[in-house]
Amino acid sequence: MNVLELKRVSKSYGSFLAVDDVSLTIEKGAILSLLGPSGCGKTTTLRMIAGFTAPNSGSVIINGSDVGHLKPYDRNVGLVFQDYALFPHMTVFQNVAYGMKYRGIAASEIPARVARMLGLVRLGSMEGRYPRELSGGQQQRVALARALATDPQVVLLDEPLSALDAKLRLELRLELKEILRSVEATTIVVTHDQEEALSLGDEVVVMRDGRIAQRGSPTAIYNDPADRFVAEFVGRSNWFNAGNWRDAANGFVNYESVAGISICGQAKPNTSGKVDLCIRPENIDVLAAGEPATMDENTMPGTVVDVAPLGADVHIVIDIDHGPRVLAIQKSGSQRTSFGVGQSVRIGFSPADVLVF
Amino acid sequence: MTLVVGLIFLLTAVFLILPVVTTVLMAFDSRDYLGPFPPQGLSLQWFDKLWDEQYLWAGFYTSLIVASAATLISSIVGTLAAVAMSRMTGAARDVLSSLFLSPLIVPGVIIGFALLMLFSALGIGSPLTRLIAGHLVITIPYSIRMALIGLLGVKSSLREAALSLGANEIQAFLTINFPLAKSSIAAGAVFAFAFSLDDLAISLFLSDFNTFTLPVALVGLLRSSFDLTIAAAAVGLMGVTLILLLVLDRTVGLDRVVGLSVDKA
Repeated sequence: MNVLELKRVSKSYGSFLAVDDVSLTIEKGAILSLLGPSGCGKTTTLRMIAGFTAPNSGSVIINGSDVGHLKPYDRNVGLVFQDYALFPHMTVFQNVAYGMKYRGIAASEIPARVARMLGLVRLGSMEGRYPRELSGGQQQRVALARALATDPQVVLLDEPLSALDAKLRLELRLELKEILRSVEATTIVVTHDQEEALSLGDEVVVMRDGRIAQRGSPTAIYNDPADRFVAEFVGRSNWFNAGNWRDAANGFVNYESVAGISICGQAKPNTSGKVDLCIRPENIDVLAAGEPATMDENTMPGTVVDVAPLGADVHIVIDIDHGPRVLAIQKSGSQRTSFGVGQSVRIGFSPADVLVF
Repeated sequence: MTLVVGLIFLLTAVFLILPVVTTVLMAFDSRDYLGPFPPQGLSLQWFDKLWDEQYLWAGFYTSLIVASAATLISSIVGTLAAVAMSRMTGAARDVLSSLFLSPLIVPGVIIGFALLMLFSALGIGSPLTRLIAGHLVITIPYSIRMALIGLLGVKSSLREAALSLGANEIQAFLTINFPLAKSSIAAGAVFAFAFSLDDLAISLFLSDFNTFTLPVALVGLLRSSFDLTIAAAAVGLMGVTLILLLVLDRTVGLDRVVGLSVDKA
């Protein structure tokens, strides 16, 4: 059953169309990531669900009833703000208890309930602390506990981990997911961070210019992006501007690339005019100049510009002769990482890994 | 370089503190006439005289009533105005903010004279009412200003968090915005009280023979009998101010009242 449904929702500010005819559904207990660059309409969408912004047209439906005309306090939507928005003059206990009295929870029940929520986010001993006495990660968890404390029908997280440093972000991401799963919260995570979106969401909705560019599982978004925008926004990508195709065989065709070399890729149905070819960096093999490529691989000669060993992976930047600069990501420890800057190499990639737009 | 800065700092401090020190010392002068500084001996005679000076006491009582009433009214009105202004867009807020501060750039004498004319035309005869209304012209700008600083320091996400948790607009204001801005509002009240107590220009026009404020009484006394009772009165006022500051420090914290940390709350 759909807990939340947006039906053809639009919102404009003057002549700027922030959200343009967006329809969306989310099932009970699911986590949906709303991903996009700033200005794509994801925050406006979130504010319309929360009730801070009224849509110009369309309807916001929670559990079957249209809440479009209801004030934020007449909906039961939990919010975790980007800056956490903890009340600085209240203790952790008071923060978590704040919503309970307004949501009709009996005063006698509140202490036990606050304790349960703080236990959930593993902050049981912090009841009496003030927000300023907590670390960023702890503040984030208090904000989550406060949002969940009133049993909201939908939980909205606005860039929940963006204020934390990289290491803490990874830890909290997993914890956040576990907590949301354990209480079966129906959740929308708004983020511009693709890693956050892909790792937290059961499903990902990519937004662009107020519209939904693609909706799909994290795997589908990455491996089968709907268009060039999604492919570029999610993950890293290398691009070749290619001309028309020729010589079709076995579902693959040759595209004329700018470097004068043809690239073999999947045939795109109804191709007309120029196409863009995208290859993910981890699908590129770096070969020494004399090393033979697999029979059907695309190969191009180039020169190593930079080699960056980043722990598990090594990032190798290569200038293709008369072509673009590409990034290849190789596993550390493989033989394909021992290249020096300035060395002549070849890159190879399988036609199956070429995305055609 | 540091030496020059230190010297400037020292000179400024001396320049600011010296008149106060002089006044305090002269208030304890044992001579029964206004002699040159420094006093040759110490006594409490001027305080004795101050104690019996009914004219000054009458002014002090009036000043207390006027300053208290003006502070209370301007804190309420100023806070309400600031609430409205804190929700406006930047441009509209700046215009209104300047408009509300404009009484402070008009000389007090002109305000006093204008008010006297206005009150006569309106037939407001009660000098107490006139004094309170007159003082509101100079206290409300401070109350608005300070309350606005306090309210703008409360992030809008806090209010939205309260609303999303089920509090309505009024509940959100009373539990979140107001408590977080209250030290600034209190600071505005202190300023309002101080400026009301200190005002001479406006009060001169709005006082009459029976109802006058302390500064008006002091000037009157200065004209009629030029002695050191005024220095004693000044010391007394400093004492009152000190007590006020101590009370404020204990209740809301002095650093917040002087506005060094409005956002910390």
